Amino acid sequence: MAAAEDMLAGLPRLGLGLGLRSVHFETILSGEPQDVWFEAISENFMDSGGRPRAVIRAVAERYPLVLHGVSLSIGSSDPLDFGYLASLKRLADEVRPAWVSDHLCWTGVNGRNSHDLLPMPLTEESLAHVAARVRQVQDYLERPLILENPSSYVRFAQSTIDEPDFLGALADETGCGLLLDVNNVYVTCFNAGVDPLAYLDAFPCDRVVQMHLAGHQDMGSHLIDTHDRPVRPEVWELFRLAWVRTGGASTLLEWDDHIPDFDGCLSELRKAERYMAGESAPLEAEGRAAGGEGVSNPVGFIVPRAMDSLLEDAA
Amino acid sequence: MTDLAAAQRRMHDALIFPSADPASAQALFAGDGRLGAAGGLAVYQRGYFLRIAACMREQFPALCHALGRALFDDFVADYIRDCPPERHTLYDLGRRFAGWMEANRPDGEAREAWVDFMIDLARFEYAVFAMFDAEGNEGRPFATADTPDAALRLQPAFALGRYGFPVGDYYHAVRRGENPALPAPAPSHIALVRTDYVTRTVPLSETHHAFLAEMQAGGGVEMALIEVSARFGLDLEEARRSWRDAHGSRDRWIEWGFFVEANP
Repeated sequence: MAAAEDMLAGLPRLGLGLGLRSVHFETILSGEPQDVWFEAISENFMDSGGRPRAVIRAVAERYPLVLHGVSLSIGSSDPLDFGYLASLKRLADEVRPAWVSDHLCWTGVNGRNSHDLLPMPLTEESLAHVAARVRQVQDYLERPLILENPSSYVRFAQSTIDEPDFLGALADETGCGLLLDVNNVYVTCFNAGVDPLAYLDAFPCDRVVQMHLAGHQDMGSHLIDTHDRPVRPEVWELFRLAWVRTGGASTLLEWDDHIPDFDGCLSELRKAERYMAGESAPLEAEGRAAGGEGVSNPVGFIVPRAMDSLLEDAA
Repeated sequence: MTDLAAAQRRMHDALIFPSADPASAQALFAGDGRLGAAGGLAVYQRGYFLRIAACMREQFPALCHALGRALFDDFVADYIRDCPPERHTLYDLGRRFAGWMEANRPDGEAREAWVDFMIDLARFEYAVFAMFDAEGNEGRPFATADTPDAALRLQPAFALGRYGFPVGDYYHAVRRGENPALPAPAPSHIALVRTDYVTRTVPLSETHHAFLAEMQAGGGVEMALIEVSARFGLDLEEARRSWRDAHGSRDRWIEWGFFVEANP
């Protein structure tokens, strides 16, 4: 898509945003408008003929919105799912998001879906494969695709390219944009035993359209990307640097489990303003997580919980 | 097969069948991280099951209550081994669950009633779940008391179920936080209907179920009355009166949003 790069340059800087979660639907739609934007998980809305579709239409009328997918499976060796893309395009045409994003990952193969964001072997073969598919998706959706660095717990032995270089080459070849998940940088680098600052130094920050912030679980030996708690100081510190290097890319807080009320999420999000102003994160030592290990990459069932109350017995 | 396809197939197989060939799967990964190849792969294997089990518990809350979480999770583990998820949406996870339970009954040849109940409950809960997100009639007009019978059609967010147990009563008792006993077998006919994004479960008599099933198959009111009267040996005029009585089914079902008005 020759125009992808030009379209990328025209994307807005949205400031600070929150992941759209069903537990906040009532507050968001009934309260006074806030100075915030929302990111909706595409799959929770794109096939809906029920309340979720009505909710996302109402949110899109009141707030800037972006669509964030978890099942495009851009890296899979299976053929692209054009049924999925058609559904995504219908939703995008309806709610007119500022952009559409997904992850540098694969979610399944042989017609099966793991519902996880699985890491890619980072090789020249993978780069050519993903680049061809990104071009197809961009042509089909008629908009640039924004791809996120996933959190990961393994590195393929056959990998020959570092992730920042892979994403940079992919962006150069396709004109796609990047979503820099700062928490994922920290989690991936910690688990791989490499320096997150070196990762950030190598990252093509000029291609970053959006950033993610989230909390993770510290298991001592490793980190799990749980999105179930406040952002850790180490991630805020990385964000402070990333904010400057990306020129103030739109920044969004993800929270997917043990979700606080809307004001609680806004309060956590607003902490970002301190680091955008250059303040350093406190060097407080946070202990290891109590309890069992959480689930990584929570790509959860966001809608039905809120819909659960909408059932009556006419007996 | 490309190197990429081979690597993805091996990793995905390791998620579905974690004990099948651990050495082969672990060989895919470098061992230089903090978790090592086995530890890193284990995070994905664990996450695969826990994520899907959590979603299945949300799709089948009453079945999970009836079986207890541990046994329910055991069923889910076997189910996703035999029927790995195929679609991009998590909402599809439970689509094949009742059929899988029927094909893999724990009671084998000696059929036990509690297994029949669990299968019925799974069918009912998936129907309820599907209704939440089905195409509906919200934002468009419904039929009114003035709509002629000949123009009455069932609305799109409507479903019928026939069960061997009172699954609706059990489901609602669990939702109220009660701990109901497993019910004895008893025929149960239920309509699900959604208006203004609220799903109602409506208990039906067998004749009402048959009448609505005729309408669902494309017949109009008069045709459904004729068919049901003949099948159940009812007097047709009496059936017509019962349908239109002040406290009959017609007004109540129109009020509950069963019907839309067909275009002339």
